[in-house]
Amino acid sequence: MTQQAYMRVENIVKQFGPFMALNGVNLDVYPGEVHALLGDNGAGKSTLIKILSGVHQPTSGTIYIDGKARTFRNPRDAASAGVGTVYQDLAINQLMSVTRNFFMGRELKSKFGILRMDEMNQIAHDEMLKIGIDFSDPTQAVGTMSGGQRQTLAIARAIYFGAKVLILDEPTSALGQKQQMEVLKTIKRVRARGDIAIIFITHNEIHSKLVADRYTFLALGQVIGSGPKAEIESQDIRRLMAGGAEMKDLEQELAHI
Amino acid sequence: MSERSESDRLQRESWARRMVRRPEIGSFIVMIIIILALAVASEGKAFNALGLKNNIAIISQLGIIAVGAALLMIAGEFDLSIGPMIAFAGMSIALMMKWGLPFGMGEATPFLAFLITLCMTLAFGWLIGNIVVRSGLSSFIVTLAFWFFLRGLTEVCFRLINQNTNVSGLPDFKQQSWFADLMGGEVFGWFFSAWYWIGTKISAGVEMTGDMTREQTIAMIDYLSFLNINRKMEMWVTGFDARLLWFIIIAGAAWFVLAKTQLGSWIYATGDNKESARANGVPVDRVKIGLFMFSAFCATIFATCQVFDTNSSDAAKGMFKELEAIAIAVVGGILMTGGFGSIVGVIFGAVTFGLVANAVFFIPWIDGAWFRVFVGTVLLAAVFANERIRKRITGGI
Repeated sequence: MTQQAYMRVENIVKQFGPFMALNGVNLDVYPGEVHALLGDNGAGKSTLIKILSGVHQPTSGTIYIDGKARTFRNPRDAASAGVGTVYQDLAINQLMSVTRNFFMGRELKSKFGILRMDEMNQIAHDEMLKIGIDFSDPTQAVGTMSGGQRQTLAIARAIYFGAKVLILDEPTSALGQKQQMEVLKTIKRVRARGDIAIIFITHNEIHSKLVADRYTFLALGQVIGSGPKAEIESQDIRRLMAGGAEMKDLEQELAHI
Repeated sequence: MSERSESDRLQRESWARRMVRRPEIGSFIVMIIIILALAVASEGKAFNALGLKNNIAIISQLGIIAVGAALLMIAGEFDLSIGPMIAFAGMSIALMMKWGLPFGMGEATPFLAFLITLCMTLAFGWLIGNIVVRSGLSSFIVTLAFWFFLRGLTEVCFRLINQNTNVSGLPDFKQQSWFADLMGGEVFGWFFSAWYWIGTKISAGVEMTGDMTREQTIAMIDYLSFLNINRKMEMWVTGFDARLLWFIIIAGAAWFVLAKTQLGSWIYATGDNKESARANGVPVDRVKIGLFMFSAFCATIFATCQVFDTNSSDAAKGMFKELEAIAIAVVGGILMTGGFGSIVGVIFGAVTFGLVANAVFFIPWIDGAWFRVFVGTVLLAAVFANERIRKRITGGI
């Protein structure tokens, strides 16, 4: 890979009082790549995302954006550095229209705060079409959309407002099979643009295999394995997902009960 | 795999279907029923010139505070202090007009009295808003506290300054002060001029058709009296109460803000899901504080119109008005949980409530207490209807 990492995370440590949440985590994300971040519950995925998106500050360690060290004091800092986070709850309001959600807090307005509604409708429609859904009527309430479509809306919004690193927090959990595929397609389309680096957090081994170019496995606050897809074997994935335990050991453990 | 996507399952609807599915449709139908029922039961008296003036006066009065309550409810908060805020503002203005400006700063003009009062009520609104957003307490409990606080404060001020809890018989300031006239005087006189002109033409027409007997002609003119042909000069009406103008201004501004501006989007976002609004950069706290102040502003306008219309005020003014305002907002389709609703629905709600509250004057055989029976019934029906709307929008069952 000759390309430079857009975002480079070096030796991130995060302590909550005596609790060591992250113990020296490294992560490189490249534009046009999907970087799958895997790990069991409590492995430190959420803490890492919150640090990358400016919600928490690391105890030590550095985040480099485009080669320059940056500190994110709040989510706004992270957003202006091009880090867009799509959380599980998506930060979407059900009763409001697609367009109003798309531009929530960042509305296009002319004099006296009057909304440029037609323009906003058009942009919301076009941006969502680019990554795969043709939502014919962006004045419709979000409550009428499927889970997958909502995910797409949140992703399209993050990209439109300048995300260069897109952090997707378990976007496929809590969705039906078909909608999970829709989301994976969306991820592929964003990847195909080539200018956006995606951090894809998931529990699901199969989903990560379908779209990821690079892996990082977390367990108990540490990286237990990472590398490009080609270097990581399928069996490894399963073992690393389970926090480093061998399948055989697990089988044995279960057999004893 | 087929080319159909999830979005294809949403069909585009015809204009008529869209109208029927609008959230205001329920309150609109109720309003039409009430208008028709009242017209029949009062034999047209409710909508002759004087009836119209009186009905519009109370509709506007309720509408002004309902708009304030509605915006706040869309943003997800309640204001129970509207009624006491009315009493406080009325007290403040009336006492200044009677006893002069505070601290011996000389005589008060109506405008100055209003301005000083508005500063105080806005400060209360700001305080309530700040307490709610900073403490995270339910606005229900915070404004309930202010309900007692302001009711008590109003009475105390009356007794301390005036030795009596009411001020009456103030001079009629509308004569000298443009401001008093703007708040308590009359507007849209041309409407009634046109009304009488049409009435005169019709009655002249009736008389000119010679093939009626004298009795028939008189009966015909009597029948047309809802147009106020006004032979007997008994119901000369020269204009609507100035409240109507204020209702139009406030409702118009609120409609515009909600439907067309960034602030409107923020109000909806705040009430729908505060956390996701905040995550997207909406200044949730400032929106809420601003709306508590707007609610106080509406209460102050209500009180100012009342004082300069009747040249009096007392400590019991605005009783139950907070509950009526909330009831109108709910009947108008505002969700109790916030995030949804329109000003058009609130206007329909205000018309319905105003007409029913006033019905006793036009239908002598009816007991005025039926008003509350009606309010209770309609309120409950509206809450159920709103819940259905909410589920339909959010895709729930």
